[in-house]
Order: sequence, then C-alpha cells, then structure tokens
Amino acid sequence: MKPDLSVEIAGIQLKNPVMTASGTFGCGREYADLVDLKKLGAIVAKTVTLEPRKGNPPPRICETPSGMLNAIGLQNEGIDRFIEKEMPFLKKVGVPVIVNIAGDAVSDYVELCRRLSSVGDVAAIELNVSCPNVKAGGIAFGMHPGLVSEVVGACRRATGLPLIVKLTPNVGSVVGIARAAVGAGADAVSLINTVIGMSIDHNTFQPRLASGFGGLSGPAIRPIAVRMVWEVARELDVPIIGMGGVGDALDAVEFILAGATAVAVGTANFINPRATIDLIDGLEEFLIARGMDSVRDLVGKVKMDGSSPTC
Amino acid sequence: MNAIYRLQAEVLNKEELIPGVFRIKLFSEEISRAAKPGQFVHVACGKGRDFILRRPFSIHRRLSGNAFEILFQVVGRGTEALSEVRLHDFVDVLGPLGNSFEIPPDLSSALLVAGGVGIAPLIFLADELNSRKVRFYAIQGATTQQRLFCYMDLKRLGRQIFATTEDGTAGHCGRATDLIHEVIKKSAPERIYSCGPEGMLKVVADVAAAFGIDCQVSVERRMACGLGACLSCVCQTRDGYRLACKDGPVFRAEELSWKA
Repeated sequence: MKPDLSVEIAGIQLKNPVMTASGTFGCGREYADLVDLKKLGAIVAKTVTLEPRKGNPPPRICETPSGMLNAIGLQNEGIDRFIEKEMPFLKKVGVPVIVNIAGDAVSDYVELCRRLSSVGDVAAIELNVSCPNVKAGGIAFGMHPGLVSEVVGACRRATGLPLIVKLTPNVGSVVGIARAAVGAGADAVSLINTVIGMSIDHNTFQPRLASGFGGLSGPAIRPIAVRMVWEVARELDVPIIGMGGVGDALDAVEFILAGATAVAVGTANFINPRATIDLIDGLEEFLIARGMDSVRDLVGKVKMDGSSPTC
Repeated sequence: MNAIYRLQAEVLNKEELIPGVFRIKLFSEEISRAAKPGQFVHVACGKGRDFILRRPFSIHRRLSGNAFEILFQVVGRGTEALSEVRLHDFVDVLGPLGNSFEIPPDLSSALLVAGGVGIAPLIFLADELNSRKVRFYAIQGATTQQRLFCYMDLKRLGRQIFATTEDGTAGHCGRATDLIHEVIKKSAPERIYSCGPEGMLKVVADVAAAFGIDCQVSVERRMACGLGACLSCVCQTRDGYRLACKDGPVFRAEELSWKA
C-alpha cells in the first residue's frame, strides 16, 4: 500500500507536503515544461505588491559556499497584472495556490488581502514580512513582534482566507515573532526566509551584489532553518511550513522531524528544476522503506533524549 | 513555446584549444534538434561540491543532428570542474534556453563581430547563415593569435574574415572595433551580429546605429534558474529590466542601455 502523503495546513488540504518557496518558482508557468505542476502539494507564487516594482539593480545574485545570495528586490508586475495574467494559469493547474504578498505599509497588506479575497481560487495568503532586500516593509515588519502583530491583525480583519506568516531568521528570537503572528491570527507560519549575508570581491574591493548585501539561501542555511523550525514547534501550537535549503526527501524529513507539517523547495528549483517532484517521490520511498503509513507520523518526531549515536 | 529538456548528456569529445579554453561535445538528440543559433544550455558543473548553481553556455555548434558543442574559458570553479569531465561522463544539461539570433528570411548579407570567447555562439550562427546562403563577413578580435578560436571555421563558412589581435601576432594589430567602419563600407551588411566583451558590444552597437544597420548582440549575465523564474539575470533596457535568460540572451542593440 502506498503511504499517505496528504497533510492539512491552515485548513488547506494538500495531497503531499511539498510546496514551492515564494520567489523561486515564478508563478509556475516558468517550470511548466519541466515539472508536472499537478503533482505539487501547493504552489506558492512570487511575492506580489500593490504597485509594480522594478527590483534592484544588477548584479542581483552571487554564489557562495553551498548557497547563493540574492537581492532581487521583489520585482513584480503588481497585483492587477497578477490577478489578470497569472491567476488564470494558476487556477487551471488545479493545486492549492498560495499568494505571497508584501507592502510598504500595513494598509498595503490590507488592500492586497482584500483584493485577493475576491479573486476566488486563492487557497491562502502568505504574508512576506521578511524580505531583506527592500527598504521599506518586508523585514522592517518581521523583526519586531509589535509590528508583526499589527500587520497580521489588520490582515486577519481584512480577509477570511487562511493566513500564513513567513518569518525571518534575522532576529534574536524567532519564537517571539512567531508567537506575535499566531496571537494576531496567523493560521500557519513558514520559516525561514533568507539569512542576511554579504560577499566582497577581492579584485574589485566591491560587494558582489549591487545592493551591497542580500539574502542567503540554499543548503548553507539548512541547519539554521531546522533549528528554528524545531524551536517554534516546541513552543507553539501552530502548523509550520519548513524551508531553507530543502533539496531532497531526506532534507524534507529533517524539517518534518523538527516539527514542520509541510516543506517548501526554494533554491533547489534553480539547480534541479524537478527537485519538487523528485522530493515527493523520494518521500514516498522513505516511508515505504520504513514501513510507515503516513508522513504525518513523522511530524515533530525528533528524539531529544540526549543519546547521540554518531558523535 | 519551444521545448526545454533536462537530461544527462554524454561527453563525446573534449579538446583543450589552448590552456584554459575548452570545447566539449555533448550527445543529445533533443537539444541538438531543438537548438537555434544564439540559444544556450544551463549546465550543472559542481555535482557534490559546494558551488551549486548551473552555468550558462552558448551553444557553440550543432553536429550531425544528435550532438552539440560548448566552448568556454575556465574563469572560476564551475568552469574548472566542467573542464575536468572525461570522455563518456554524463553532464546534467538544461536547454535549449533563451531566444535566438533573428535571421530574416530575405537576409542576403551580414557582418559578424566576435571578441575573444564571444566567438562561441557565432559559429553556430555562421553555420546557419552559410546553409541559408547568406553572404557574410566577419571580424574576429582576440588578444593574441592563439586565441582566434575557430578562425578557420569562419574562413570556410564566410566570404571574408578579418582578424585582429591586440599584440599584433595575427591580422590587424588592435581591436575588432578598429576595423568595423571599413568592413561595413566594404561589405554593406544588412545586419550585424555580435558577441564579446560588453565594451566591444557597445562600440558595435554605436557604429551600427550610426550606419543605420540592424544589430543584434548576445549578452552574458550571472544567472540562477535560466528559466525566467528567479529574476537574477536582468539587463537594463529602454523598457526597464529584461531577463538575459528569457528575453535574451540576444537583444537588439538599440534596446540595451549601456553603462557609460
């Protein structure tokens, strides 16, 4: 018998716990040639803002050990174009669509929530309060529990759709931020967004990104992400979408054991465009090999009994 | 939309043209069949190592319908790792990606301007122009005679080829752009195609504009996904940022906003 990969998160039924991380999968269309989108647990679209944004000047990325830095700057065509151009495609795919939003002010988030509530076929809204690459909004909200509470609360009043709050690791206490989000009405949290980093060219003496610094992603940040998922899972009763260097099924298992109900694949999409599908297949094989019936039986099952067989 | 393939392509040949410059022949019927001049492949170079992103390479030549070549210089760890592949190894390739050089059906004459390893995509284009009976001239510039890669291929395919070297070891002593006015006057091309260092492309673009000749250039950018999703590889154009991977790598020269 095939193991059951289905999970529920923020009231959304997913046929498997594998999503795309916002900003790494466009709006799905870009990968349609290479990925059977119908097989995904959910598609999380690239961040959309009220007005179009042209993004940051190039170079916007650079490679770093087992990762990459990016400072894209939330380039997007704005909510009107998103609803008109991308939603019809996403609707047709037939998997839950999670729309990630960001704004400069609380009122932007509220307006975006209102607009998306009337579109139909939006399964949930993910609040990006953690982008390190824009001057206003983004991480400026996500680093302060009071502001997180304010923006999540305002969105909660503006929409009946499930709200997922995407958290930044660039804080002293991720649990404090997560608690503020849950207290204000978040249905789930996703973590982590990128870790702020910097790389400098020894020839030119200039930063490798035009913006100076950017967000680190990829396998390099996975241990940070797993630790933060574990901390939030231990302290709070909220569904968690784990992300940060998820590339294959075994990475996903790590996050799920730490307490994530679902995982999102980000940078790995750039390396292996079929990473999501390979992960879903691998997860099924993992469960079969261990004679497990359901992926849900793995959630939070890390053994913290002090015995450590390998070191 | 054109098909994109992700596959493991067998290495059929590897040549080191001069130290640090390699030409690798890869087997793939799918990519070879679908490829158009100007397109690129996105290659995983560091499997199992700590550099994780793919590297983009122009398709250099298409061979006998089931293989293609890339030509590259070792510039960092990714290209170094790729240069170490052995015969019959398999390389993880995504492609063909991006747009292609536009060749109008009635085109009768063209000028190719290549700088350094920028020759790579222009050989595929030269093959195509030759098979379409488009008469073309070319200016190939390099630092030194040894780096005039594929010069004999150009000779075979084109009408007249002008070489320039910065050290004067072959052809005109100087840069490719030194000859461009003269060759345009001589050959009256309907179109100019160019690939090479950005400084050279800018001069080519300016001269083409001054002569009122359509000009297409192929650019290179740091890139992550190659598919238009990550928005890393933007080029500044008159219409704002556009993507080298999807809107390019070939742009009409007048679209691009060059750095001063």
